Amino acid sequence: MKYLIFDAGPIISLTMNGVLGVLEKLRENFDGEFILTSSVKKEVIDRPLKIKKYALEAIQVQTLLDKKIFRMAEEIIDRQALEKETKRILKISSGILRVSHTGEKINLIQEGEASCIAFSLLCGQENIIVIDERTTRLLTEAPQNLESIMEKKLHIPLTTEPSLTKQFKNLKFIRSSEILFIAYKKNLLPFKKDRQTLDALLYGVKTKGTAISSLEIEEMKKMI
Amino acid sequence: MEEEENILRILIETKKAFQRDDPYELKQLSNQTIHSATVSQDADNIIVAVLIYSLGKVLERANYREMSGWKEFYKATEENLDSAINSLQNKDIEKCRTHLGKIRNYLNKISGNLGEYIKDIFRKAEINKAFKIYEHGLSSEQTAKLLGVSLWDLSSYIGQSTISEAKASISMPVKKRIKIAEDFLE
Repeated sequence: MKYLIFDAGPIISLTMNGVLGVLEKLRENFDGEFILTSSVKKEVIDRPLKIKKYALEAIQVQTLLDKKIFRMAEEIIDRQALEKETKRILKISSGILRVSHTGEKINLIQEGEASCIAFSLLCGQENIIVIDERTTRLLTEAPQNLESIMEKKLHIPLTTEPSLTKQFKNLKFIRSSEILFIAYKKNLLPFKKDRQTLDALLYGVKTKGTAISSLEIEEMKKMI
Repeated sequence: MEEEENILRILIETKKAFQRDDPYELKQLSNQTIHSATVSQDADNIIVAVLIYSLGKVLERANYREMSGWKEFYKATEENLDSAINSLQNKDIEKCRTHLGKIRNYLNKISGNLGEYIKDIFRKAEINKAFKIYEHGLSSEQTAKLLGVSLWDLSSYIGQSTISEAKASISMPVKKRIKIAEDFLE
């Protein structure tokens, strides 16, 4: 069994680009489950359902859950264990970056992102987290880069605590851009297959919140 | 308030900039508050950042001054800024919060379009400040929670961020990430 764990961002960017249906196609040939945690469900279904502007988008995501394209994390891991681990992740992540001269901790991530990491660490199976925003990825893949970005923006020296990031080192992340790239290669999208389509897909998710650079998009286009 | 002295200084500067009709200075002051808000994540810092930015935007729109309710709004803003400063100088934080809140609440008393226009400026200011905090390095969800905005609203703004273009934002070569995805989704 494999698990593809979704943060809220990729679901939002796929939905806002009108290509959420691609997950249904991907799931058909995937030997595993697509996972939503309760915290992520709140962001992509429960809250937007109460906002008229986004209720239709929320219904689209709810439909995928009803069709069992997504499975709730709590069906696989005990809710209490997941909540406890999420809290632990939040505590660790808030200690990774500190203001050098005051020692003040900076809370970088929230429950949704932490719950994805918690599921990844607890599930005991091969898994990948799909996450579009850069902070969580940088925090685990290159915390020194996050430190340098934040120092430049805040104009104050920061200190990274490397020992805290060690337990995150085996986490794997992809973005909605990689999901669409694979869907494009596998002909799972209802569009004509050419470079313009791939370009439109990748820039589409970029403009809806996926942290991907133009350079990366151009590299991806060359891989086809 | 976690940084009372800093907020007091910023409110005093805000009042001066508001009275001398200086939207550029108000924007600068709002940005200063964002630096503090990113680290402390103190709600008061964020409220002040949104308020100052909104006042700057209001001053930029010269046609608002011709609209019904402008004089009353201007007077209420000046008075409440004064009262907020006095309260903070007297270490009465709750009262300071109340006066800052009154500036926004006063918009409900303005009849006609002006109240709605300025309310819209405040709503957009929240998203704008959320975007700024995101650019300072917090995650999108953490940012959305701090500003009380929807992740759905924030996503389009995040898409405009130039921060993902920075080399430091690329934590893994794209080919390697695609290989991971392909191997997993085979």
